[in-house]
Amino acid sequence: MTVFVIWLVVAGPIWAAIGAWQLPKIYRRKGLDDSQARLIGGLGGLTLGPLAVVPLWIWTPELNKWYWGWGLGLLAALQLYLLFTQVQPQNLCVTNASYVANQAANGLIIGSIYALMAVGLTLIYSVQGIISFAHGQFYMLGGYVSYYLLLFFAERLGIVINPIIGVPVAGLVTMLVGVAFERMFLRPMHLGRVERAGEYAILITFGFGFFLQYTVLALVGPFSQKTDTYVQAGSLSLGPLVLIPNRLVAAAVGFLLIGLLIYLLNRTWTGKALRAVSMDKQAAAVTGINPLRMNTLAFGIGCMLAGMSGAALIPVFTWVPWVGMAASTRSYVIIVLGGLGSVPGALFGGLIIGLVEALGAGCYPDPSKGAAYRTAFGLLIFAVVLLVRPTGLFGREPS
Amino acid sequence: MSLRIDMRWIAAVVLVGLLAAAPLLLKDSPYQMAVVTGAFFYAILASSWALLAGIAGQFSFAHMAFAGIGAYTTGLLARDLGATPLQGIIAGTLLAGVVGLVIGLLCLRLRAAYLALFTIAFSELFRIVLLTEFQFTEGSNGLQLSKLWTEITGTQEYYVMLVLLVGGMILMYWLADSRIGLFLRSMREDQEAASAMGVNVVLYKVLIFVITSLIAGLAGAVFYHQVGIITPNTIEILQMSLVIAMAVIGGIESLLGAAIGAFLTRIGLELLREVTIFGVQIEFGAWRYAAFGLLLMFTLRFAQNGLIHPIIDRLFMKRAREETVAKRAQASGGES
Repeated sequence: MTVFVIWLVVAGPIWAAIGAWQLPKIYRRKGLDDSQARLIGGLGGLTLGPLAVVPLWIWTPELNKWYWGWGLGLLAALQLYLLFTQVQPQNLCVTNASYVANQAANGLIIGSIYALMAVGLTLIYSVQGIISFAHGQFYMLGGYVSYYLLLFFAERLGIVINPIIGVPVAGLVTMLVGVAFERMFLRPMHLGRVERAGEYAILITFGFGFFLQYTVLALVGPFSQKTDTYVQAGSLSLGPLVLIPNRLVAAAVGFLLIGLLIYLLNRTWTGKALRAVSMDKQAAAVTGINPLRMNTLAFGIGCMLAGMSGAALIPVFTWVPWVGMAASTRSYVIIVLGGLGSVPGALFGGLIIGLVEALGAGCYPDPSKGAAYRTAFGLLIFAVVLLVRPTGLFGREPS
Repeated sequence: MSLRIDMRWIAAVVLVGLLAAAPLLLKDSPYQMAVVTGAFFYAILASSWALLAGIAGQFSFAHMAFAGIGAYTTGLLARDLGATPLQGIIAGTLLAGVVGLVIGLLCLRLRAAYLALFTIAFSELFRIVLLTEFQFTEGSNGLQLSKLWTEITGTQEYYVMLVLLVGGMILMYWLADSRIGLFLRSMREDQEAASAMGVNVVLYKVLIFVITSLIAGLAGAVFYHQVGIITPNTIEILQMSLVIAMAVIGGIESLLGAAIGAFLTRIGLELLREVTIFGVQIEFGAWRYAAFGLLLMFTLRFAQNGLIHPIIDRLFMKRAREETVAKRAQASGGES
C-alpha cells in the first residue's frame, strides 16, 4: 500500500506532466486532432503512468470518444479517494458510507440551484459574448426582493405567505433591473458607440455590481436576515439518506426552472432566435431576428435566473448584502468548467461543483475549516480546468 | 517639439515639488498626513493597474491581493523568523511576483475574460485562506506589522510613500514609452496582427503582469508597515473595486491620470465620510460607495478616457497636436 501511495504522490504528477506536455506535440506531428490529447495525456499519466502514456505515444488512437475522458476521470477520482483512505483512515468519509451518500445527495440538491444561476450567466455569454460581473449582485438582489415581499405581506397585511411566491416576483424585479441596465449601458456597446467593447463590458458590469451592492447595503444595513422555510418538516428519511425537505423544495424549483428554460430554448420561436443569435449574429439578422432585442432578452433572462436562484435560496441560507460575491465566484467556476456559453455544460458543471463542495467540506480533516473552504474546492477545479482543458466539458469554441 | 517636452518636465517637477513641500502644511495634523500618505498608496495601485488594464488590456481583479501577499509575507517573516522590514519587503515583493507569474502562465494564454474570472476567484480564495488559517495569520484580528524603523515620524512615512510613488511612476512611464509599451499597445489593439508581426504575445503579457504584481506587492508591503496592521478585509473586492474605479475615473489609459484620479478620489471619500450641513451631521457610510459606483458607470459610458486625463491632455498635448496637424496639412497641401 505504501508503494501505491508513493506512486500516486510522486510518479503520477510527473507522468501527468509528461503526458500533458508531450502528447499534443506527438499528435500534431502525426497530423492528428490534438484537442483532447492534453487532457487525456494528463489524466492517463496521473492514473496509469507509463502504462497509459507509452501506448498513447506509440499508437496515438482517436481520443474524441466520450469514454476516454470520463473513464480516466472516474479512475482518477477513484485513485484520489483510495489515496485519501490511506492518509486519513479515521475520517468519516472513509468509515461511514451513509455519511458520504448524504453529503453527496445534499451536494447535488444545492448544486441544482448553483446550476440555475450559472445557466443565466452562460446564457448571457452565449448571446452577448460578455461575462456579467454583476451576476452575484442580481442573486443577492433577488433574495432581498423575496425577503421584503414576505415581510410586507406579513407585517402590513397580516398574511403569511410561502417563500415560494417570492421566487417569480424576485425574478420579475431582477429582470426589469437587468433589462434597464442593458438598454442604458450595454446596447450602446452593441451599436458600436463605445471603443474597445470587450474591456468596456467587463468594467461596466463590474461597476454596476459595485453600485447594486452598496445601494442595497445602504438600504438594508449589514445585518443577516432569513425568511421562513418552505415547509415545516424537519427531515425526510429515504433509506440511508436523510434529506431536508426545505432544500428539496429549493432543488425542485431549480430543476423546474432549468427545464422550462431548456423548453424555451429548444421548442419556442424566441428560444430558437436566441440560439441563432448566439451562433451567428449576422446570419440571424438576415433571417429577420433583431439581434439587439435578443441581447436585451438574454440579459434579462440571465438576470432573472440569478434573482430567482437568490429567492429560492434565501429560505435555506441566511442573507447578507455581500452574499453575492461567493455565489458569483462559484458561477464563474461552473461556466468555465462546463464551457463558456454552453447551457448543458452549466447544468452539469453546477451539479459537479455542488458535489465537490459538499464532499470537500464534509471530508476535510478539520470540519470547521472544511465549511469555510467550501468555495475554495471549486477554485482548485478552476485552476485544473484552465490548465488541461480551457474549453471546459462542453466548450464549443477554442479559446 | 522641444518646447512640449520641456513643458511636461517642468509640470512634473512642479507637481513633485508641491507634493514634497506639502508636509510643511500638513505637519500639525497627523490625521491629514496619514490620509494623504494612504492616497499615495492608492495612486501607486491605480496607476499600475492602469498600466496593466489600460495599456496592456489585461483585466486583473487581484491587484489588491498582490498588495496583501506582499504585506502578509513581510509580517509573517518578521513574526516567525525575526526578519527585518527590509528583508521582509524584498521577500514579499518577490513572492507577489512569483504568484503573478503562476497566474499569468495559467490565464494569459487564453482570452481576456479568463484572467478577470480567475483573479476574482483567486482573491476570494486568498481572503478565505487568511480568515480560516487564523492560528497562522491571526484571522480577522489582523496581523501586526512593525514600523519601518523605530521612531519613524509621520513626515518620514509620507516621504517614503512619495518616493515609492515617484519611482514607480518613472519606471512605469519608461516601460510604457519603451518597445515593450509599444508591443503591449499593439497587442491590445489587435492580438493576431501583433502576433503575425512577430511579437511574442504571451511573453509580454506575462511580463507586464509580473511587473505590475511586483509593484503592487512592494507598495502593499511598505504601506502596511506604516499602517501597522493588515487584515483580510484589505483583499476584499470592495478595495479592488475602489482601485478600479479610481483608475477609470482618472483615465484608464493614462498612468498619471489614474494616479491623480486615485489621489483625489481617496481624499474625496475621506472627506465625505461625514458632512455637516447646517449643523446637521450626516453619515454617508455605504451611500458614498454607491455614488462612487454610479460615477464609475457614467464615466465609462460617457467619458471613456476618464475625467482627469482629458485635462492633462488639453494642457500639455494640445500644442503638439496642433503642430502635427499643421505639419500634416503642409505635407499633403500640394495634393489636395
